[in-house]
Amino acid sequence: MAEENKKNSRAGALDDEQRVKVLSPSMLVFKRFIRNRLAIVGVAFIVFMFLFAFVGGWISPYGEDQVFTHYEGLEKDYASVTVNDNYRYTVVEGEAFDSLAQSKFILALNTGAATFEAQGKTYSYEQKGEDLYVVNGTTTVARGMSNKMMTAVKPVEGVTLPDGFEAAANAAISAGEVSFTFEGVTYVVSIEGREAVVGTGAPIALASKTVYDTVDSSIETGFDFRLAAETAIAAGATSFEADGVTYGLSVEPEVGATITRDGEMIALASNTVVSSYIAGQVLTLEFKDAAKEAIANDLTEFEFNDATYVIYRNNTIWDIRSETQTQVVNAYEAPSFTHWLGTDGNGMDLLTRIMYGGRVSLVIGFIVVFIAAFLGVILGGVAGYFGKWVDSVIMRIVDIFNCIPSTPLIIILGSIMDAERVDPQIRMLYLMLILGFLSWPGVARLVRGQILSLREQEFMTATEACGLTVSHRIFRHLVPNVMPQLIVTCTMSLGSTIITESTLSFLGLGVKYPFASWGNIISAVSTVHVMTNYWFVWIPAGLCILITVLGFNFVGDGLRDAFDPKMKR
Amino acid sequence: MEKITIDNTFTPLVHNPDNVLEVNALKKYFPIKEGMLQRTVGYVRAVDGISFNIKRGTTMGLVGESGCGKTTVGRTILRLHEKSGGEVLFNGQEVHTLSKAQMRALRPKMQIIFQDPYSSLSPRLPIGEIVGEAVREHNIVPKEEFNDYIDEIMSECGLQPYHRDRYPHEFSGGQRQRICIARALALNPEFVVCDEPVSALDVSIQAQIINLLRDLQEEHNLTYLFISHDLSVVEHISDTIGVMYLGSLVEFGSKEDIFREPLHPYTKALFSAIPIPDPNSKMNRIVLEGSIPSPANPPKGCKFHTRCKNCMEKCKTEAPQPKEIEPGHFVVCHLYDNEPENKAE
Repeated sequence: MAEENKKNSRAGALDDEQRVKVLSPSMLVFKRFIRNRLAIVGVAFIVFMFLFAFVGGWISPYGEDQVFTHYEGLEKDYASVTVNDNYRYTVVEGEAFDSLAQSKFILALNTGAATFEAQGKTYSYEQKGEDLYVVNGTTTVARGMSNKMMTAVKPVEGVTLPDGFEAAANAAISAGEVSFTFEGVTYVVSIEGREAVVGTGAPIALASKTVYDTVDSSIETGFDFRLAAETAIAAGATSFEADGVTYGLSVEPEVGATITRDGEMIALASNTVVSSYIAGQVLTLEFKDAAKEAIANDLTEFEFNDATYVIYRNNTIWDIRSETQTQVVNAYEAPSFTHWLGTDGNGMDLLTRIMYGGRVSLVIGFIVVFIAAFLGVILGGVAGYFGKWVDSVIMRIVDIFNCIPSTPLIIILGSIMDAERVDPQIRMLYLMLILGFLSWPGVARLVRGQILSLREQEFMTATEACGLTVSHRIFRHLVPNVMPQLIVTCTMSLGSTIITESTLSFLGLGVKYPFASWGNIISAVSTVHVMTNYWFVWIPAGLCILITVLGFNFVGDGLRDAFDPKMKR
Repeated sequence: MEKITIDNTFTPLVHNPDNVLEVNALKKYFPIKEGMLQRTVGYVRAVDGISFNIKRGTTMGLVGESGCGKTTVGRTILRLHEKSGGEVLFNGQEVHTLSKAQMRALRPKMQIIFQDPYSSLSPRLPIGEIVGEAVREHNIVPKEEFNDYIDEIMSECGLQPYHRDRYPHEFSGGQRQRICIARALALNPEFVVCDEPVSALDVSIQAQIINLLRDLQEEHNLTYLFISHDLSVVEHISDTIGVMYLGSLVEFGSKEDIFREPLHPYTKALFSAIPIPDPNSKMNRIVLEGSIPSPANPPKGCKFHTRCKNCMEKCKTEAPQPKEIEPGHFVVCHLYDNEPENKAE
């Protein structure tokens, strides 16, 4: 019936009193709040930061700890190729052809002498091809006068020569031959002034400018092999035989000759030397082949095994530089379309990191304030409501907490966690707990004071007179009346908690890598160089802190004014 | 140091079923604590041995100047303060010995209306909730009748049903006092302590509230303890009147007796201060000298002797005992020691 009355009277609607809009205290506060422009700006700041941190981090294509790198071609001296201008000597096994003899050979070659002597031994040489000589060592078997008129050689003492040797020798010398064969033995004739010397000659070394590169050291490139090979190369043959094995041969002009055995490349003969710049590095035959070919074709770079090599020519030396692709972190990259705020020193996208840092900062702020408010309301409420010794005990605890210098304590705890190598995620949790436990006393004091004054109000006496239960009295009458101040304090302390967290992270005691926080983003600025050159690292994060804290303070001020009934509506 | 004790000797009352409330030698001392250890160094004797009783359906007015302990009497009766001595019988039941649960069950039967209608309403609750929460908690009415019941109580107290959703700040002082009355009345009490319910209101509203209280008394057969310092209001509403001075009752009797012939010098002085709404009549005002002594250290003998113009030597040493001068009219004064005791009873 009353319900009906109510409806009827509402339907009447001309009653002035009923037309007054009913506003609860919270609605009044809200109305006053939204009329405060500064508070609305604060709300806008906070909403923006929330969207930025939580939605932004979700939209952002990059991860919180995603490191951006690029590949950079780095040229390193790898190998050099030189044209071989020196004769290289291959000595027959068991013979000796030392460096003195070698220089005498070069001398003889230059002067055009047919024989040369070194250390009491006489050598002769024979040209087998361009830059290919066979050096024969000689043993004097006969000597004698030789002039235009006659030649008469006699065997050297201790040497017995077959019959008819002398006649053959004389004839050969007179004919001006350099060597002759008698009874299957080749003799070498050398005329030294008026004296002719006849010696038996056998090849003891090969002098050539060809350089052999073999697949591995098991391939013997001895005298016979080289002689056969080079003779074949000079002759333009496609195969040769040495030591009973047949080798294939393919000559590429200006590059060299590839020697194959059973179809496999075993050696490379050319007049260039490829040597490595890197100690201990063995260059493969294929690489050498490729390098030589590239040089022969006047290329400036070539590919080998997916790597690029660049050739720089320096007279007869070609430097080969390997272009290795090195992964390089995009540190301190300036803002661009891919990274709107650039990257930090670790090559992480700054915008994304600021978003995730915002999450961390805001979440830590809220959780810390929640812990502080939770403990503060319970302890302060108990102290205020029950009073007497309970109040004294709790307030002394509050005093003790207020005496603890929080910054040194946090620094010590931070370094303990550093020493214990606490996992960054767990560390974050500890940080929240520590900050929360350090900041409840303020809330407790506030709540206690409020409750002490509320408890003496007559409406609390009225609840007692009405016989309401204790919980009912606390939660329906006391707590709602403490709420305004509590909300204001909590909002204000949110800002300061975010500052504290940023400070700690800045000092390296708060949130640790890989987790981002505005504080540890800014802590990248440890040098003037970074500060002046990489503004995009610290200014945006600093602005975020500024905006958020300002926002919370504006909202806090707005709430305080809105809760104050003496404010003009 | 001497131990301070509270003298708690009294002769137990015999319950008279006519009386809703019987108060016997009620004492309420507030300890004075001092020093580091908060030791009790003395007591403020706010209520120092008060005895009276209130018949069912009547109103007792309790008057006295500020600070004489009127409010403390009211609150101690309701056990909002614990008593220091004496007895409070509500329907023959000692209130202060009940357990918490029993006390909670008894609460709805004894209600209080406060002096300040502004601080006695929680600012964050709507009126319907303020009036109804205790009703719900004590199951005064079945759940389905709850809304109708609250509407009914509110309209009885001159409030509209649509006021239920409003908050205290939207009401005037008079309306707030109606809300307080509705809150007290909703619990269906037998006895209501009206603790200066109109002193914070202006005169026109005072009349409305007083009339409302009287109407409700008739309707619900309520018993009031009406505490006031305003004698004209008390005269209007009371059946019996008690006059308090410094924690003690100095005179107690029916309204007619006391207004016709106040006996105690203090009552006389008090009544002489009632303004007469006639500019031509000269007030024969008795002006009390000095100020009220501290209740922490009341004068020996008759408490009033320091300010009494009829003070005798006896008054300074010997505390007077209540004396029934006419039926139901008691006075506590040595002036009447030689008067014949009324033996009508």
